[in-house]
Amino acid sequence: MRFVHYLKATVAAATLLTAPAAMADVQFGALYPFSGQLALLGEESFRGLEIAVDEINAAGGVQGETVVLARGDAVDNNQAIGEARRLISREEVVAIFGTYSSSRSIAASQVAELAGIPYFELGAVADEVTGRGFENLYRTNPTAEDMGKMIVDMIVDVVAPGVGREPGDLKIGIIHEDSSYGTSVAQHQQNYGEEAGLNIVTTQAYPASTVDMSSLVLDLKQRGVDVVLQTSYQNDSVLFLQQANEAEFQPAAIIGGGGGYSMQPTADAVGHDVIDGVLNVDFTQYLVNTEFTPGLEEFVQAYQEKYGESPRSGHSLNNYVGAKAILQALDEADGFSPEEIKSTVEAIDVPEGETAAGYGVKFGENNQNERASMMGLQWQDGKLVTVYPEAAAAAEVEFTN
Amino acid sequence: METFLQVAVNGLMLGGLFAIVAVGLTLIFGIVKVINFAHGEFLMVGMYATFLLTTGLGMHPYVTAAAVVPILFVIGALTQRFIIQPLLAAHDEHIQIFATVGISTALINLALLLFGADIMSTPSYGLRSSIEIGSVRILTGQAVIFVAASVLVFGLHLFMSRTLWGRAIRAVAQNRAAAQLMGINVDRVYVLTFGIGAACVGLAASLVAPLYPTSPTTGTYFVLTAFVVVVLGGLGSLGGAFVGAMVIGLIDSLAGFYIGSDLREVAVFAVFLLILILKPSGLFGKQLNLSHVSP
Repeated sequence: MRFVHYLKATVAAATLLTAPAAMADVQFGALYPFSGQLALLGEESFRGLEIAVDEINAAGGVQGETVVLARGDAVDNNQAIGEARRLISREEVVAIFGTYSSSRSIAASQVAELAGIPYFELGAVADEVTGRGFENLYRTNPTAEDMGKMIVDMIVDVVAPGVGREPGDLKIGIIHEDSSYGTSVAQHQQNYGEEAGLNIVTTQAYPASTVDMSSLVLDLKQRGVDVVLQTSYQNDSVLFLQQANEAEFQPAAIIGGGGGYSMQPTADAVGHDVIDGVLNVDFTQYLVNTEFTPGLEEFVQAYQEKYGESPRSGHSLNNYVGAKAILQALDEADGFSPEEIKSTVEAIDVPEGETAAGYGVKFGENNQNERASMMGLQWQDGKLVTVYPEAAAAAEVEFTN
Repeated sequence: METFLQVAVNGLMLGGLFAIVAVGLTLIFGIVKVINFAHGEFLMVGMYATFLLTTGLGMHPYVTAAAVVPILFVIGALTQRFIIQPLLAAHDEHIQIFATVGISTALINLALLLFGADIMSTPSYGLRSSIEIGSVRILTGQAVIFVAASVLVFGLHLFMSRTLWGRAIRAVAQNRAAAQLMGINVDRVYVLTFGIGAACVGLAASLVAPLYPTSPTTGTYFVLTAFVVVVLGGLGSLGGAFVGAMVIGLIDSLAGFYIGSDLREVAVFAVFLLILILKPSGLFGKQLNLSHVSP
C-alpha cells in the first residue's frame, strides 16, 4: 500500500515538474571548466550565472519563460569545442554563457560563431576573445587591457604620491607568468607605462609551474626596483611573495594583476603580515563602497543562502552582473531568434554605478562592453579591500615603507 | 661576488629539492625501468598526507614522515602489484606507460574532488626562517632537504650494494630472465622496488610540504625535472641522480639571474641535451643495454 502511495506521489510530482517545464522553458548553455585544473574558478564563475538565473526566474522569467541552464564542461580546449557543439545541436540552446578561461572561450566561441548562436563571455579577459571581429560574440567583463591600464593609473595616481616621488622616478619591474594571460597583461603594462612616462627597468617572464623564484628576486633587488608588477597564478604569487620577503627585498609597492593576488588562500599561505600592503587590480571584489555597486549585498546574501559559504572570488559577481544585464534586456525582446537576441543586447545601455559590479554595460567596438572596468585593491589585515578609484573605495590606501 | 655566491647556493638548494624528489624515480624508472608518470602525483599525495597530519593532529611536518613514508610504500607496492604487474605480461611496455599516465590523471582529479583546486599550506614550523652564513642566507627547511637528500642517496647506495635484496634488485634490473633463472622472485623484487621508490617520495613530501603550497597539480611542477635528473645522472645511478640534480639546480639558478628568468628552462635543457650528446649514457651511467626488453 505504502509503496503504491509513494509511486502515485512520485508520478504526480514528476508530472507537475515536467509538464510546465516542457511548455515554457528557454534553454541557455553554461559553458565553463567544471573539472580539471581550472575547475575552482570555473565553478565560481558559474555560480554567478546561476544566481542571476534564479533571480530572473523568481521575477517571472524571461518573456514569461523559465530560464534553464544546460551545463557544458570545458575541461580543455578540445572539449570546449565539443561541448559547444553539443549545446547548440543537441540541447538547442538559444545562446551560450561562459567561460572564465580565455583559451576555452576562444575555442568554443568559434563553434557558436559558425552556427550563428550568440555567445556571451562574462569572465575571460584575453584581448583576442573580442579581437577577432566575431559577430555573435559579446563580452560584458573588463579585459587584460583594462587591467594593464588600471595598474599604470594606480602607479601614477596612488603609488607615486603615496611614497612622495614623481612617477617617472620610480623604477618599475614587470614580472609575469609566460602564458597568454601574463604576457598580454605585461604587454599592456608596458605600453601604457611608456605612454605615462614610467621608467620600466626590466620585464621578465617565467613559467607558472616554477618551483623557485629566488634568482628573479635577487635580480629585481639588485636593480633597485621600486615597484614590482606581477601577473601570476596562485603558486607563483605565493612563491614570489615568500621569497621576496625571505631575501629582504622590500620594494615601495607590489601590484598584482588578479589571478593569485586576488585569492584568500594566497594571503593565508604567505602570511597576512607579509601580504599586507600589497596592491592588486582585478574584477570588482566584495569590500567596496556599496553605494557605487547597488545590488552587491543582495548578491552576496543570495550566494550565501544557495551555497552555504561566502563568494570565493569576484568571478561569480562579474558573471552575475553580465548575465543579469543580458537576461533582463532579453525580457523586453520578442522571441529568442539569434537576430532578435543580438539586436536587443546591442541596445543595452546601463550607466556606470548602477550594477552590482559598479561598471555599466554598453557594447561598443567588437561587441566589447566599453564601460567595463577593473578596480584597484589592497590587502589590509589579511583582506582584499577596494582602494581605487575613489568613488568605489572602501578604505584609504596604506603605505608602510 | 656576494651575489654570485648567493645565486650559486640558491642553485644548490634547488638541486637538493630536485634530488630528493628524483631519488625514488631513480629506483622506479632507472632500475625497474617502468616509466612512472604518476611519480609527481605520489609526491602530491604525500604532501596532502603531510598537510592533513600536520594540521589535523598538530604534528611537526617532519614527524609525519613516520606515517607518510609507510603509506607511500604501500601505495607504490599496490600500484606495482595490481596495475603494472598484470601489464608486464603485455609484451609491450608502452602499455605500462599509459597505465601510469592514467594513474596520474586519476590522482590529480581525485585530489581536485577531495580538496578542490585551491592551494593548501602546511604550517612551516619555522622552517622558512633563514640561516645566515657570512653574506649568504638559506632557509632552514632547504638545508634540511639538502642534507636529507645526501643521506638518502648514500643510504640507498649502501642498501643496493651491500644487502641481498639490493643485489637482487640490481640483478633483475640487469636481466629479468636471467635473474629469474637464478631463483630470484622477480615479481616480488618489482613490488619491493616500486614500494621503496614511492616511500622515498613520501619522505620528500614531508620535507617539501612545509616549504611549498600543496595543490592537486603540485606534482606536475616537479616530475619533468625529476625525469631529466634521472636521465642526466645515468639511468639507475643514485649518485649520478644527485649530481645531476645539482647541475640542473645550479644552471637553473645561474641562468635565471644572469641570462633572464624566461630563458632558464632553455639553458637547463640546452645543457641537458649537450651532455646527452657528448655522453649518451648520462653523467654516471654505464653503457646502455636493452636488457629490460628481454622477455
